[in-house]
Amino acid sequence: MTAKVSVKDLHKAYGDNEVLKGINLEVQENEVVVMIGPSGSGKSTFLRTLNKLEEPSSGEILINGFNLVDKNTDINKVRENVGMVFQHFNLFPHLSVLENVTLAPVELGKLSKEEAKTLGMQLLAQVGLAEKADAKPTQLSGGQKQRVAIARALAMKPSIMLFDEPTSALDPEMVGDVLQVMRDLAEEGMTMIVVTHEMGFAKQVADRVVFFADGYIREQGTPEEVFNNPQDPRAQDFLNKVLNV
Amino acid sequence: MDKKAWIKYLMLTLTVVLGIIATNTKFAAASEEPHYVITTDTTYPPFELQDKNGKYVGIDIDILKAIAKREHFTFKLVPMSFNSGAQAVLSGQIDGIMAGMAITPARKLVYDFGTPYYKTGVITAVAKNSSIKSLNDLRGKTVALKTGTGAAAYALTIQKKYGFKVTYFNDSNTMYNDVALGNTVATFEDEPVMKYAIQNGVKLKVLTKPANSGYYGFGVKKGHNQALIEKFNAGFAAIKKDGTYDKIVAKYIGAEESTFAGSAKVNNSIWGLLNQNKSQFLAGIGQTLMLTILGIILATIFGMVIGLLAIVPNKISHGFASTVIYIFRGLPLLVLAFFIYIGIPSLTGHKLSALFSGLLTLTLNEGAYIAAFVAGGLKSVDNGQMEAARSLGLSYWKAMRKVVLPQGVKLMVPSFINQFIITLKDTSILSAIGIIELTQTGTVIISRNSQGFRIWFLVAMMYLIVITLLTFLAKWADKRFGNN
Ligand SMILES: Nc1ncnc2c1ncn2[C@@H]1O[C@H](COP(=O)(O)OP(=O)(O)OP(=O)(O)O)[C@@H](O)[C@H]1O
Ligand SMILES: [Mg+2]
Repeated sequence: MTAKVSVKDLHKAYGDNEVLKGINLEVQENEVVVMIGPSGSGKSTFLRTLNKLEEPSSGEILINGFNLVDKNTDINKVRENVGMVFQHFNLFPHLSVLENVTLAPVELGKLSKEEAKTLGMQLLAQVGLAEKADAKPTQLSGGQKQRVAIARALAMKPSIMLFDEPTSALDPEMVGDVLQVMRDLAEEGMTMIVVTHEMGFAKQVADRVVFFADGYIREQGTPEEVFNNPQDPRAQDFLNKVLNV
Repeated sequence: MDKKAWIKYLMLTLTVVLGIIATNTKFAAASEEPHYVITTDTTYPPFELQDKNGKYVGIDIDILKAIAKREHFTFKLVPMSFNSGAQAVLSGQIDGIMAGMAITPARKLVYDFGTPYYKTGVITAVAKNSSIKSLNDLRGKTVALKTGTGAAAYALTIQKKYGFKVTYFNDSNTMYNDVALGNTVATFEDEPVMKYAIQNGVKLKVLTKPANSGYYGFGVKKGHNQALIEKFNAGFAAIKKDGTYDKIVAKYIGAEESTFAGSAKVNNSIWGLLNQNKSQFLAGIGQTLMLTILGIILATIFGMVIGLLAIVPNKISHGFASTVIYIFRGLPLLVLAFFIYIGIPSLTGHKLSALFSGLLTLTLNEGAYIAAFVAGGLKSVDNGQMEAARSLGLSYWKAMRKVVLPQGVKLMVPSFINQFIITLKDTSILSAIGIIELTQTGTVIISRNSQGFRIWFLVAMMYLIVITLLTFLAKWADKRFGNN
């Protein structure tokens, strides 16, 4: 079986600052990969190269077999298949909740307005927000916003979902709802790459945990391996800090 | 708005603009007799002044009409400040100038003149109650001159000798008032004009005998419009011979202005003035509104395009847009208007109508300001919005149109309303290239009735009313359509 995501020797520099120093990673279909690591280690940068919000400096990225580094690849087609959820939600404030969800499938000609509405209501029900369909994003709490953002990404029927600290901007009591939606997604077999500090979620849901530091992947393995028996001193140090607060 | 609505909107605008340009140029094509565009001064009585109906009359105008009739040509009269008119002839925008223009050696280098038609000399005038007794008393004081006139040129030749300073005006009435009020101590003016003004109540007195006497001539650009000069000369000889010329001169020289312009004493209340000049004011407001609305629509289209080019992630388009904004925001509106109206035809040899030049000026200048705040507004939309839209698979332009623009435009609404008001006020500057909008209407009416204070008060009130209405309309439109 070919990998859904295949990254080889990926480098990314901002000017003189090399943020990614040679990343290799393969993600299989249905796999849930959780990425952890200290702040500034390059997790977000890495995630954003996977849908080309950041241009890699060198290396190879294959998504569903499409070569992202190749100039002839239609990046918009690739992105239709890769949903992304941001730390700060980035909902479209001028549109209603339902319009946020239906915008892309309608604009890209995937669905008629009616079909998109039906799908949108279905997805909003899935994330528990059907009754907010006509609300504006500003009328929602943070946790509700993030669930709408997930529904919005799912409306394009992606086969891969990227999450960049989806719960970091939320009040603690909101975190559970969002994680539950993600857990459900994982159970349905979605291929997911999740950057998070939620170690409980990682232990419970991840098939694999990847530890980033200084632009390298320092350690990876099952949650048990990484959390209970880390080999890399930096990973030991990091986990010590986050697990024993 | 969706795509179709945008296109409709654009087509409508273009149709209107082309329509205006077409109606503006159709005169030439319509008649079989040769047709000329001739400029005159906005106010230079008794040579050019407006009668009580707002029609131009005077020695120059009547001579021109008599000659045109005899020689079978038609002409469109374009009153402008003397200086702008003189330049417009040299740039080829206008065929001839009949504006009490003194024939001087310097002018002969660039104009061809018809038969000299009126003998004149330059006199100095001071306020009625002035203590100045001779030119020697002018030392260290400031005198008022009219831009580009022969009298001004003469004053400069004796400036060193008498040691006075000078300041310039574009309009005779404003200049006389300045001297009468004592802001400046004296003015230099052509004898017949000065005498006529004094006879009609301007509070000045003549200080000197006519100096530097010479002749007025009808001018065309050197080497151009020779047929027009020939017709002028033939016609002039004829009206001189049959006494028409003498009749015209006698009619104006020594006559009270009220003979032509209506009694100055009647109805000089605000309401009276408003009533008397109703149609002129309405036409002026109409022109101002038309320039404002078309100007802002065209400037918005131009500004949106340049503003978008300024933010797309492409160095060339970014550089292009920044340069355009820099140039057209940096140029004073008046300079831009003159450059387009007088400069471009000199370079290309193609005439541009004043209206077209005016609209182009507004489009470029106001458009540059709009581009700057469009770019600023779009930049201030959180970058995460673009990223979220792109991550869903929307193209850059689709994301721009559906996600970034709607939010940016909302931020820009106050700036748009502001620019609307500025555009309305800026249209007044276009009077300099001969567009008779509201400000120029005021100047023209005052040149006839000398009611400066009251007319400017009326004009100011009209601007305020129009601005209030437009602002109200813009805010209403924003509420109605902007925040859905
Ligand atoms: N657009 C950019 N321009 C320049 N430097 C950047 C840019 N984006 C990120 N960086 C730098 O790249 C490095 C990695 O940033 P990144 O956001 O990928 O870290 P992270 O692991 O996601 O950290 P955090 O846990 O704080 O989100 C940081 O040093 C950051 O300053
Ligand atoms: Mg990050």
